[in-house]
Amino acid sequence: MSEKGERRDVFDAIADPTRRRLIQLLAEAGELPLHELTPHFPMGRTAVSKHLAILKEAGLVTDRKVGRETRFRLNAAPLREVQDWAAFYGKFWSTNISHLDKMLREEEE
Amino acid sequence: MSLTLSMDFQFKTSIEKLWSALTDSDKLAKWVANIHTGEPMENNFKPVVGHRFQFRTTPTEYWSGIIEGEVLIVEEPTRLSYTWESGEKHTVIWTLEDLGNGMVNLHLEQTGLSSEPALNGARFGWSKWCGELQKLLEQ
Repeated sequence: MSEKGERRDVFDAIADPTRRRLIQLLAEAGELPLHELTPHFPMGRTAVSKHLAILKEAGLVTDRKVGRETRFRLNAAPLREVQDWAAFYGKFWSTNISHLDKMLREEEE
Repeated sequence: MSLTLSMDFQFKTSIEKLWSALTDSDKLAKWVANIHTGEPMENNFKPVVGHRFQFRTTPTEYWSGIIEGEVLIVEEPTRLSYTWESGEKHTVIWTLEDLGNGMVNLHLEQTGLSSEPALNGARFGWSKWCGELQKLLEQ
């Protein structure tokens, strides 16, 4: 869904259980490299790395190079949006209203 | 603390067609979707005061996938209201206004939204998970 260069929607980013677990692990540990995150999941490092990339696109994770390894850290600020019900329902209706608009246009044709 | 969500939308259609889209079960199924999966939500809505209805989608680990409600106001074709319950109980009020020139304004108000869903035990979406989140955000 996300266009290249566009920031990924935080709701999309946390829709997946693996990514929610990654957020929890990073919240508990502070900062972790990929090889310490991977053993927590029934998947390989490439798959975990893809999930981290999605979290990064949403601004939920930052990374930095330390020697030869990349370490990942949580940035919780975008999660405030998730906490806010008004934002959630605003998105729910505005997304669905765009479906409604499309349906009404098709009826006119 | 309770919040109200308020939004306005304009459509190039007639007020009757917009009313039908908001109240006809088959039409609702065409536009009310689970925004995370994009799948349409099934419903048994009827514009009859006192009617209890459900909108359903595939359940997830964090949500039963069910929104329940009761129709409160039916004033065809200008006002429709129902409760909207999934953990928290909200009230949705739709107001339709003919703007002339083939345009109709749709005003949405959703009241009773908690600003702190996790603390209030709401279950919609990821609130169980948000319980953990709350601690994080307070840091």
